[in-house]
Amino acid sequence: MTEANVTVAESGTGSVPEGWQPHIVALVCNWCSYAGADMAGTTRLEYPANVRMVRFPCTGRMSPLMILKAFEQGADGVLVSGCHPGDCHYVQGNLVARRRFTIFRSLMDFIGIDLRRLHFAWVSAAEGHKWARVVSDVTAAVSEAGPLPAFESPEDWDGVELPSVGDGGPQELTADQLDLLRANLRRAASEVLAAKRVGVVIGYGAGSLPGQNVPKLVTDSSACEILDWGHGCVNNLSTYIGDALEHNDRVAVVVKTCDLGAITGLIREDQVRRDQLLLIGMQCPGVHSGSALAAKCLSCSGDPHPICDLVVSVDGVHESCLDPSDAALDMPDARDEQIAYLESLPYAERWRYWQRQFGRCLRCYACRAACPLCYCSSCIADKHRPQWVPTSIDNAGNSTWNIIRAIHLAGRCSGCDECARACPADIRLDLINRKLALEVERQYGRVGLDPEEKSALIDFRMEDSEEFIL
Amino acid sequence: MAKVGVFVCHCGENIARTVQVQKVVDFAKKVPGAVFSADYPYLCSAPGQKLVIDAIEEHGLDRVVVAACSPQLHEPTFRAAVAQAGLNPYLCEMANIREHCSWVHRDIDDASAKACQTVTAAVERVKRARPLDPVEVPVTKRALVIGGGVAGIRAALDIADAGHPVVLVERQPSLGGNMSRLSETFPTLDCSQCILTPLMVQVLRHPNIELMTYSEVEEVSGFVGNFKVKIRKKPRFVVAEDCTACGDCAEVCPAPGGNEFDLSLSSRKAIYIPFPQAVPSIFTLDADRCLNANLDSPTGFRVLACVKCDEVCKPQCIDFDQLPEIVEREVGAIITATGFDLMLGEQAEECGYGKYVDVMDGLEFERILSASGPTQGEVRRPSDGKTPKDVVFIQCVGSRNPEHGVPYCSRVCCMYTAKHALLLRHKVPDSRAYIFYMDIRAGGKGYEEFVQRAMEEERVMYIRGRVSQVIEEDGKLKVLGVDTLSGRPVEIDADMVVLAAAMEPADKGEIAGTLRIAADTYGFFKEAHPKLRPVETLTAGIFLAGAAQAPKDIPDTVSQASAAASKGLGLLSQDLLQRDPTTAHVDETVCAGCFECLAVCPYGAIERKELLDAQGEVYREVAAPNPAVCEGCGLCIVTCRGGYIDLEGYSDDQVFAQLGAMGPPPEVMER
Repeated sequence: MTEANVTVAESGTGSVPEGWQPHIVALVCNWCSYAGADMAGTTRLEYPANVRMVRFPCTGRMSPLMILKAFEQGADGVLVSGCHPGDCHYVQGNLVARRRFTIFRSLMDFIGIDLRRLHFAWVSAAEGHKWARVVSDVTAAVSEAGPLPAFESPEDWDGVELPSVGDGGPQELTADQLDLLRANLRRAASEVLAAKRVGVVIGYGAGSLPGQNVPKLVTDSSACEILDWGHGCVNNLSTYIGDALEHNDRVAVVVKTCDLGAITGLIREDQVRRDQLLLIGMQCPGVHSGSALAAKCLSCSGDPHPICDLVVSVDGVHESCLDPSDAALDMPDARDEQIAYLESLPYAERWRYWQRQFGRCLRCYACRAACPLCYCSSCIADKHRPQWVPTSIDNAGNSTWNIIRAIHLAGRCSGCDECARACPADIRLDLINRKLALEVERQYGRVGLDPEEKSALIDFRMEDSEEFIL
Repeated sequence: MAKVGVFVCHCGENIARTVQVQKVVDFAKKVPGAVFSADYPYLCSAPGQKLVIDAIEEHGLDRVVVAACSPQLHEPTFRAAVAQAGLNPYLCEMANIREHCSWVHRDIDDASAKACQTVTAAVERVKRARPLDPVEVPVTKRALVIGGGVAGIRAALDIADAGHPVVLVERQPSLGGNMSRLSETFPTLDCSQCILTPLMVQVLRHPNIELMTYSEVEEVSGFVGNFKVKIRKKPRFVVAEDCTACGDCAEVCPAPGGNEFDLSLSSRKAIYIPFPQAVPSIFTLDADRCLNANLDSPTGFRVLACVKCDEVCKPQCIDFDQLPEIVEREVGAIITATGFDLMLGEQAEECGYGKYVDVMDGLEFERILSASGPTQGEVRRPSDGKTPKDVVFIQCVGSRNPEHGVPYCSRVCCMYTAKHALLLRHKVPDSRAYIFYMDIRAGGKGYEEFVQRAMEEERVMYIRGRVSQVIEEDGKLKVLGVDTLSGRPVEIDADMVVLAAAMEPADKGEIAGTLRIAADTYGFFKEAHPKLRPVETLTAGIFLAGAAQAPKDIPDTVSQASAAASKGLGLLSQDLLQRDPTTAHVDETVCAGCFECLAVCPYGAIERKELLDAQGEVYREVAAPNPAVCEGCGLCIVTCRGGYIDLEGYSDDQVFAQLGAMGPPPEVMER
């Protein structure tokens, strides 16, 4: 967010109904801010009556879903307030919450929620004056921002043209080199199966169309000829690991470098152990999206990553397995310019852009099915009591779903782009994921390929930045 | 369908002046599920409570909303009232329409609309509340006291005298702490060791106290009433039971060095007893100083280069093969009394500390004054052993100095500096004492009189102002400062300078981390409430005593220790503890086992539970919160992406319904 777009921001609806009063929901923690508001009462400090309060044990109990629900219910602004860092009744609840809210706030900003609507404050039990001041300031800011723009797909709107992503990508491989790679892959797969190092190799086979590849599971060392490699190997095969492990003690997976983050995530989150996996890292010519290279490939070298157990390149097959704590996964992205462009637009434009995108959502949940890290046995979107994500296909429900999906992947998403590839409505989920990944990295540093590292949003530092908190 | 009764309080005029109570009563009737509503001038009065109880019985209400003041005030009152009527107390909800409404808004329509909506949200919330029963946990009737200074000693004795076993852990070889280093104590000038050592001996002899010196608390798990503690006993290399403290070993030991007890103003050997009255009276072999390398490393290659102590020890109690020992104890309550250190930072350096040997801190001067100290109580300066004639005392070195030290006042320095000056004048009658001070803070029984005595009877020269620098010139310490009352610069040629350095907590985060208790910015342990719960921490069952909580003097430390002991005794006197049942619950059937909840839980309340199939084999691991440990913060619930964890009393369902009731005010409420 730049300073400029705060000043040019305008309310989404353009017109403010007469007599309109901002409606604000405040989520407060029991021990500090609720008591601080009590103190304001005891001291008889007057403040605007636009705020409705919900009491929680701790800011750590407040979920982004609740903020979304408040907006969906017609709140024009939301205030979240808790104990000062170090004062949390539960020692660290507010510190974990601070990270969650930092990232959630940047997402709200990105999709066009005017940040004058969303406020965070630390108010202690002794700070009655501060509570009164915060409520007055927040009410003034929300009044300025105007009524919350409607959750609806804009009509009569020309849309925005995102900058093109340019070109680049891994070194082109000749047909001979590709053949050599395939032969090396088959040999490697055949050897690990024959040596009973694994029970199954998860790889790619030829699809029914030319240039298309589909996931294939091979259990017989003599059947490895069906394994294929090329521009069509788009899937992130780590989604298949869980099922494959139900029948095998150890599985081999054919991986591109862009698939590794997901595998690390699965190990980190206890879904699989590293010793159950044999990673076959492939030299990658880049995968195609349509007839062109996929956007994620444009800044990738295509080299196999040395944390894989076996590395397959044109030169042959090598044992590798670098200690993951020494490994980096540097993934610059050609789409960062598109993100920067969207961020340069005023809030209203951004809101329209994303509302049009979300308006297309069919709620088919293909994004969820394709995501290697969406492994929950039952998704929050399918929960009925309470139904946080409305099931109806309207912009409010669609927005909630797409925002929650993004928040649940924040700090975890490995950037494999499978969700965006799978989306039949071409929603730019990749931009949202990338935006949050950039924000997490900017705030908390990069989490690498070491499964021992905590992911950013379940961790905290006392000195984490909080410049936006009142 | 729930049958909710809504009761709206006028609070005399406090609510009724700005909130149209009748409007709220009428509005509440329209909320689905609310079958009864009424108002009363003072609901918290006995007739008010009776109104609630009678209505529950008469109308068969199964839920209650009381729209009145803050739940922080009267939630317990109304929960007890509904319980009297036979309802579960957790089915009573407060809607705060006083502190959060009538007292902070002036417009009657706005305030009434807000009150109506607050009540609606409370009805929606209580409709989805579940009856909860307190979690009952048994209590291990033993206490752990961490720290063997005067605070720990007092607390341990109080609990032991009341008949409960106590484990007292001290990391130094002897009990006593900082108090045993002091010479005399203000304002009575009692000899510090004379009043402390009898207590130390009592601890040693007490049948209910298990004393572990030279030991450290390594790990604490469990929860209030049921802590499990691992204590590491460091090897002394001396068989404690056999040592007679004859001292033959120290005489022959060839490895001398500074004695920490005397702050290195005297020396001790590698095998030593820190001071003559040490309790327990056992020698300790310092592995770092002993000529035999790697003594304390169980795996290191040990070379016995010197066995002189072993040769002369008549009871044969030297044991070079001792290893660290981990002992486990179960306790119900923990008292933390880890004490203080002096902080010698930037400002002490400006005053020449560390550069000139005759610039010392307050504790070093205590040792010089002490009859058991390196000079047997004669005031002689370290550099040449001469008796100093001009001594400058500087107060607030590091304290009350946000830029180069700490912003807080260390509380004891004004008094001990006055004592130092007075004792100096007693011991060296022709000496001159100068004190640089910012303010004199002598708030305590007999304290102001003591300072006056130093000023008037002993003619101690008090100079209000600060010292900028101490430099050595012509064998004198030149103290350069300013007298802020006259505005004139001051220069004093001193023979010795004593700095009243700031107190800082001795625990640098290790104990706080092990116990998972909060500390403030400076590392002092944080009390649950500064006024109403000053000796409790926010972790139930862990109490605070002494300077580890904040700088304090001996009377305050001892009072706090007894207070902490009585809090601990209150806990140990119960057979079963009742804990708040607002705890986390996991839906095991869908838990995906990512264990991020376990990673964020501040209390270690979540365990891994193995689910077994019909053959008895583990097919899945799921998260299982222990309701006896869970404090109900709710961090895990938001961490769980699938929404499989929920919090009793603040369930997703309840919050969702509350938020649903909090949309923009409907037409009926608008003016």
